[in-house]
Order: sequence, then C-alpha cells, then structure tokens
Amino acid sequence: MTFTQEKTLAAQVRADFPILHQEIHGKPLVYLDNAATSQKPVAVLNALQHYYQHDNANVHRGVHTLSSRATDAYEGARDKVANFVNAASRQEIIYTRNASEAINLVAYAWGNSNLQRGDEIILSVMEHHSNLIPWQLLAQRTGAVLKFVELTETQEFDLEHFKSLLSDKTKLVSVVHVSNTLGCINPVKEIVELAHHYGAKVLIDACQSVPHMTVDVQAMDCDWLVASGHKMCAPTGIGFLYGKLDLLRSMPPFLGGGEMIADVFFDHSTYADLPHKFEAGTPAIAEAIALGAAVDYLSSLGMDKIHAYEAELTAYLFQQLQQIPELMLYGPKPDSKGEGRAALSAFTAGSVHPHDLSTILDQAGIAIRAGHHCTQPLHRHVGAQSTARASLYFYNTREEIDTFITSLKEAIEFFSGIFG
Amino acid sequence: MSLDNLRDLYQQVILERYKKPRNRGKTDPVDRYQKGHNPSCGDTIELTLQLNDAEDQIQDVKFEGEGCAIAMASVDLMADALRGKTTAEALEMVQKFQAMMKGEAEFPSELRKLNVMQGVAQFPVRIKCANLSWHTVKAALELAKDVQPAGFISNE
Repeated sequence: MTFTQEKTLAAQVRADFPILHQEIHGKPLVYLDNAATSQKPVAVLNALQHYYQHDNANVHRGVHTLSSRATDAYEGARDKVANFVNAASRQEIIYTRNASEAINLVAYAWGNSNLQRGDEIILSVMEHHSNLIPWQLLAQRTGAVLKFVELTETQEFDLEHFKSLLSDKTKLVSVVHVSNTLGCINPVKEIVELAHHYGAKVLIDACQSVPHMTVDVQAMDCDWLVASGHKMCAPTGIGFLYGKLDLLRSMPPFLGGGEMIADVFFDHSTYADLPHKFEAGTPAIAEAIALGAAVDYLSSLGMDKIHAYEAELTAYLFQQLQQIPELMLYGPKPDSKGEGRAALSAFTAGSVHPHDLSTILDQAGIAIRAGHHCTQPLHRHVGAQSTARASLYFYNTREEIDTFITSLKEAIEFFSGIFG
Repeated sequence: MSLDNLRDLYQQVILERYKKPRNRGKTDPVDRYQKGHNPSCGDTIELTLQLNDAEDQIQDVKFEGEGCAIAMASVDLMADALRGKTTAEALEMVQKFQAMMKGEAEFPSELRKLNVMQGVAQFPVRIKCANLSWHTVKAALELAKDVQPAGFISNE
C-alpha cells in the first residue's frame, strides 16, 4: 500500500517531540499508548517555559503589566479552543482540570437542580469510568435511573437499542464520541437529534475524538462536550467543558471561591458572568496557555491531515494484526482506507496475559497499555478480564507498527513454546 | 528483545505453573477464605485454607482466580510451599518472600522452588503481581475463626 502522507506528516513532526528520541532497554522507544496520554511538542513545552520565565502573574487581578500579559495569554487560549471546536462564543468554553472534572461540573451544577426521582439518564456500555461514576453518584443523589445502550454485533453503538431506550423520562444522554477501547466512532449527530426530540440534553465525551479529527460542536448540536488537554499534546491538569451559552447561564455555580464572583457580602454573593462563573480559584494558567499552544500546533498541521494520516496507519495496523491468528481484536474493523474506527486496537493474545505481553514489549522499547483502560463494565460486557491496547497518534510511523508486530509475534511465540 | 532478562522473569517453572497449576480449587473444609484483587490490573485470587484442629498448622491451600503468569505461578508455588507449615512459619515466609521481592533475601534449599520468583525483583512494576498471593494468605491467617473477611486484599 502507498503511504502518500507519511513522509510529509510523521517525518515532518517527529523532530518536534524530543521525548520520542530515546532508547528504552537499549531499543528505540515506540510509544503506542497515545489513548492514555499524548506526548508534547516543543511548542507546548516552550509555551510553559515562556510563561513562567516572562509572564507569570495571577490572572484577572492586578493592573500591572505581568498580570495583564498573563490574562491576555490565558484568555487568548480560550479563543483558540473555542475556534478549534467551533463554539459560537468564547464564553461557552470553561477550563477544567480534565474531562472528568468537566463531567462532574455538569453532574452537580445541572444534574442536581434538573433531575428527579424516576428521571432517566442514558449512557452506553462502552463509557469510560469518568462518564459513568459521576452519573452513578447523581443517580444516588436524585433517584434518577441509569440506562445503558448495548453493542451491535460489530461491537459498535447500537442506535436501534438507543431508540428503544428513549422516552419522555429521558432527561440526559451522555455518551462517548470515540471509544477508547473499541475504537468505534459513535453517530453523535444522530444521537443528539434523537435525544433532542424527547427534550433530553446530550453530553459528548470527546476525549478520544478532539485530538484526532475535526470536531464541530455547532454541527453536532450537543449541549455539552468535554475533552482533556493531555491527550491532545497539551499538559496534564487542563481540559475543557463546552456548553451552550443559555444552558451554562441557567446552571448554578459548581465550585465557589475567588475568580467566579461579582460582588461578595458576608451573607451572599453575586456571580461572575460566563465563563468565569465556573472557574473558581486561581486556575491552571500555564497549562491553559499551553493548551492554546497545542491547539495552534494541531491546527498548523491540520486536523483533516492528521485524521487522514491516522487512517492510513489504522489500515496498516489492522492489516498486520489480522494476520496473527492468536489475536482477538475488539471493536469494528476499519475499511480498506482505515476509516470507520479510531487509530487504536484493544486485543487479547491467546494465552499471553496482557500484563505479561506489556512487560515483554517494554523490553523491546514498545509502550502499550494493558488492563481495563478505565472501562471495566465494558470488559465484563465483552467477556474479557483485561486487554492489551496499542493506540496511535500522528507522530507514529509504519516502521513502528512493524516493530510492534514483530515483537508481538515473538512474545506469542515465547509463551507458545510452553503452551504449544 | 532482551530475551535474557525475560528468561529470568519468565522461568520455565513459572510458565509451566501458569499453564498447568497444581493447586486450583477449594479446600475441604474451608477454614479460612480470603480474596485478593488488584483492581487496576484485574488480577484476582480466591484463596482457601484448611487448618488442623488446633488451627496452628496449614493442611491445604487452594486457589481460584485469574491473572497474569506471574500472579498465577506465584500463588500456585505458594500453595505447595505452605502445605504442612505452621501458621507462624507461614507468616515468616510471607516476610521472607516480600524481602526477596526487594532483592534482600532468598529461601533455603528446602523451599528453593520459591526462588524462581527472584527475577521479578528486576521488574518493579510487576512485584505486586508476585506479592498478591502472599498478602492474601497473610490476611487469611490473621482472620479469626468463622469471621468473614470484610472485603478483598489489594497491594496496589
């Protein structure tokens, strides 16, 4: 097969990621754990360092020059994020620590005041724990009931089953855009449209989509969308919540403190306008600015280009994986162009336990994930105690996939010497 | 791939025990029961012990469960090693095994089979796999008679 874009993209960007140029156990690092967290380009590292060396001050406080610079950079990054997901207003972007915090914000601020006993929340069986536990807690607080959309035969979101769960009792639908385990890309536009028909609100967990493809919140028409910075080349400790303006306005504050207030008296207070109403306390200023730098970096490469290149890698990865008879692959198969699923594969390798496999691959310099990937209920649902997962990003190469496949075969052979 | 390192870790005995454990099942009677579980990796061991009438000697050890080769071989070898030991001896062996995982001890020749686990000490993230069964048996032995354990033991 031809790799028209590989030379132009992976080759173009690898120099931007210093961490990739090292040896692990004497072998070149092959980093295939991108669904857990991505590596950071120099532009992002420089943004962090530049901020602390030149502009560090608290935001929205002082009138001095550093405070003004810090505020401009912090708020400028918000504009970048808003543009990146095509939000209608910069006020619709709330900085959070990560996607989990963003979901918890919605579960408390909106959920506590809008859900009652007997109301229904629809999730899917493939949700990350971060899009499950906040709703379990909300259900415990309010008496609301959780319903779960199951999988089709190809281990994708079962839209028909979803339709059968929807009713006037449905108040909220919260589903993942791209599964971190199955790799399926869920039909979020249809999900939103169907849910809105019943007056239900929809939250989209976009942690595994925003880093890899163009995401347009207005086209999707979702009510909220959450993502984590660290999976999209930004540092840890920063993520964001997108919410429709009127909806965010109607929600009471989540955390109280400095930054989120207008006037404060001993017995009551009035709150700041959006987005600051939801940003109590001194925020992760440097991390937010670095998130802006990450968005600039990704935009300069082009999300469509990133997606197209990752699709080529996906096609190649699956072509190789499907030739190993011992493997059980989870989620849908990609089409011949690598489309139809994300650039990751969760699998089991016969009698080789995922943790043993990960240790063996680590000796060859290859980083993969082993375990339940924070989707324990999904693993139970598909009958796997744990799986191994290789997940790609735009800096991975076909040669790295070759190295991974070779070592994977060796590991299976190493164990099958005993098991054969 | 650094096969030498891996052969240290995955010695023949470990792979054989993983494939064909000798001590799977449940003791009869069950005098002590304890579950060991490491949630982040999913390793799970359900350990049962049969004690003598005085409850100061282990007559049999069995396990059920699922996990990686290291965890499964470790519990199977442990079960062999503990059979016939007094509870005091068993608790000393727990300490010795944990010291061995730090590279600070090894077992004398009559218990040398346990020394095949020594290679794990070179793989710090996998030590918890080897230790899980020993943490679990310690908790089981510290339970009073007829007391149901409150939950599972974890060493993550």
